Amino acid sequence: MKRLSTLITPLVLSILMAAVLPATPVKAETVKYKRTLERYIIPDLALINQDGKRVRLRSILKSDTPVIVDFIYGTCTTICPVLSAGFTNLQSKLGATGQNVRLVSITIDPENDSPKVMKDYLKRFRARPGWDFLTGSRADIDVVMKAFNAYIPDKMSHYPLNMILVPRDGSWVRLLGIMSSREFLEEYQRVAGKR
Amino acid sequence: MRLNLISKDITVSQSVFSLFFPVSLIIIVVSLVLLHPFNIAAAVSNPAATHLSKPEIMRLGERMYRDGVLPSGDPAPAFIRGDVEVDSRAFSCSSCHLRAGLGSFEGGVATPPTTASKLYKPYRRPPSIGDIPDRAGRYTYSKTVLERPAYTRETLAKALRFGTDPAGQIFNDIMPRYPLDDSDMDILISYLESLSLAPSPGVSSREFRFATIITDDVNQEDRQALLQSLQSFIDQKNHQLALYNDFVKFGYTPTIDMKYSFSQASIDVWELKGNSKTWQGQLVSYNISKPVFAILGGISNKSWQPIHDFCEAQRIPCLFPITDLPVVSATGWYTYYFNKGYGQEGEAVARYLHRLENLPVETPILQIVQDSPAGRALAAGFEGSWHELERPAVTTLTLTAQQLHDQTSLNKLLKKHKPAVLLLWTDAGPLPNLTTLVAGLALPGKVFISSGYMGNKTANIPETVRSRVYITYPYRLSPYVGTRDSAYDATIPTLSSAKDFGDRRIASRTTAMLKQTLLRGLNLLFDNLYRDHLLDIMSTQMDQIVRDYERLSFGPGQRYASKGCYIIQLGAGANPALLPRSEWVIH
Repeated sequence: MKRLSTLITPLVLSILMAAVLPATPVKAETVKYKRTLERYIIPDLALINQDGKRVRLRSILKSDTPVIVDFIYGTCTTICPVLSAGFTNLQSKLGATGQNVRLVSITIDPENDSPKVMKDYLKRFRARPGWDFLTGSRADIDVVMKAFNAYIPDKMSHYPLNMILVPRDGSWVRLLGIMSSREFLEEYQRVAGKR
Repeated sequence: MRLNLISKDITVSQSVFSLFFPVSLIIIVVSLVLLHPFNIAAAVSNPAATHLSKPEIMRLGERMYRDGVLPSGDPAPAFIRGDVEVDSRAFSCSSCHLRAGLGSFEGGVATPPTTASKLYKPYRRPPSIGDIPDRAGRYTYSKTVLERPAYTRETLAKALRFGTDPAGQIFNDIMPRYPLDDSDMDILISYLESLSLAPSPGVSSREFRFATIITDDVNQEDRQALLQSLQSFIDQKNHQLALYNDFVKFGYTPTIDMKYSFSQASIDVWELKGNSKTWQGQLVSYNISKPVFAILGGISNKSWQPIHDFCEAQRIPCLFPITDLPVVSATGWYTYYFNKGYGQEGEAVARYLHRLENLPVETPILQIVQDSPAGRALAAGFEGSWHELERPAVTTLTLTAQQLHDQTSLNKLLKKHKPAVLLLWTDAGPLPNLTTLVAGLALPGKVFISSGYMGNKTANIPETVRSRVYITYPYRLSPYVGTRDSAYDATIPTLSSAKDFGDRRIASRTTAMLKQTLLRGLNLLFDNLYRDHLLDIMSTQMDQIVRDYERLSFGPGQRYASKGCYIIQLGAGANPALLPRSEWVIH
């Protein structure tokens, strides 16, 4: 009986609380993230990937399948893990259907993010092949951020941003904000022409 | 874990939500109770972890909090954004709430405190500008709620599992939901109840006590350079406090920022004498007789290892000591270094050589290491990085200072090994023979030396071989434009000539540390007087442009603030220009 009451009391309390408390503190908004269509001129410069290999940004962003780009860094506390968990999840969901999504994370902490730091980061997020993490000189990284209209003078003031390359016309879908995994998948599929 | 965030990510409109909210919550609560594989109510009223000792609960709780690992050793299961399963080892509580549990603000996300001492009190804050959407399109993705009642163990468990606060407000999706079983939940909450509970030793709301550490191998001049910088900082703090007291006496009301920005400060000098094996005991006795909140700066010509170990064991922050022999570790927490010292110079050479496109993989490289802490640290830095780059090991010869003076045997060694690249990790001893050494190399015949270890005699390298000699230089090369904050004084030379090689920049580096990084940390502590919190704040600060380095950068877990080291060559003449041959940071 005691056990039953310990089970039921909090439940009844929760129900009562839920009924009594006004719901106004929770602000509901229909727009969760901002979606715009953009054109970017990709700078022709070489960055370094997690394997220490030099790669030309233009060539890896020239693709006939969608490519998703985000800006993160290896020791970031809050939004990078969320963005990266989104990448992990997208890779695994699309992988299950035989689609191989191409993901490119670009560091905004180029001084600390060496190939080793980036490789460890990808491992931590169980990244599969097709997800590259790029670093470079601070000057080059600044150029890349500016090209994507995402320049920030300091990594601490960054914001969650994903950009999907639309291969058929070279435009980009810019997604500002945190999306649920379902929304992220839908945005990708829209670009990939799967839905 | 992030608690208490108001969610903006709800798809239904405000009015519909208001109507259905209580009903939907009932449905959610009922279904979760009925369907969940574990018994929620029993989780708290009948903790399953009571058979464990208190230290064991703390150890397991700390591991869950910091590493996202359950007592069973498995990663803690967690979900974000509703349906994304995350591996808590990559995204643990301390990732956002930081080690002291007092939260963070990063990437437009406000992460509130998660210590029970804060959670078990009601919370209320004034409205802020972030509450109003930004017309430019950048908005604060999540912010703390305006108010909520105090948590209890029960409501805290519910918050961690289902993401609602005691008032029913739903957390932002970024905060993971943790379906923990009763015992694990009990352990985690017990840890949160102990986290940042009592203020750290050496501090009160009125006074910060600091110490600095000087070892007995440091000369009088270096000692004075350090102490003067520190004393001037302490004097300035106390001077400001006197002004603040007058301000209050005259009837002005201080702002909250002001209230916490001014406090008495004092500094002791912990002198370490004799063999470094005895330092540990000396440090322990200083710390027992008068504990301090943090160690500011310090200086030694010997390895910092024993002091580093003491600070790790006693959990005392040690901020930016002047040392060329720091501990290079990926897990060290309590000591903040300017850089990796000699190790960083060795690393830079490895990365530079690795990137040289016209250097064949099979190029023979010989490393001549002076048998000294500096020589060994340079070699270790090079070897660690070279190995990480998956390059084959190089030939290493460790020689005494006396052997390095013996030109005939050095020539024999070169003839035997026929290196095309020579890493000369020595002091200035072999410099007079440098021309002969360069002549003994196979092509392309490059020699790498350390500006710090070779010192100011490097300026004497004969012009005929300067094109073959590459020098590590871990300091600023571009002109420095200081700010008032950085106590910039145009009359102080910036030491960017070969004649300044080996200058330890004690005053300028220590002053930059105090005024550009520590002060910011102290001012943001407010009434959270915890050593771990100071480190958390300092590690999430903006980058700093300082006199001696191109940049100091920070980040949780990053403990070497300056990441750069140029590879330079000398120009012509008696006062040669320093010609950069690499980026500041080489990858």
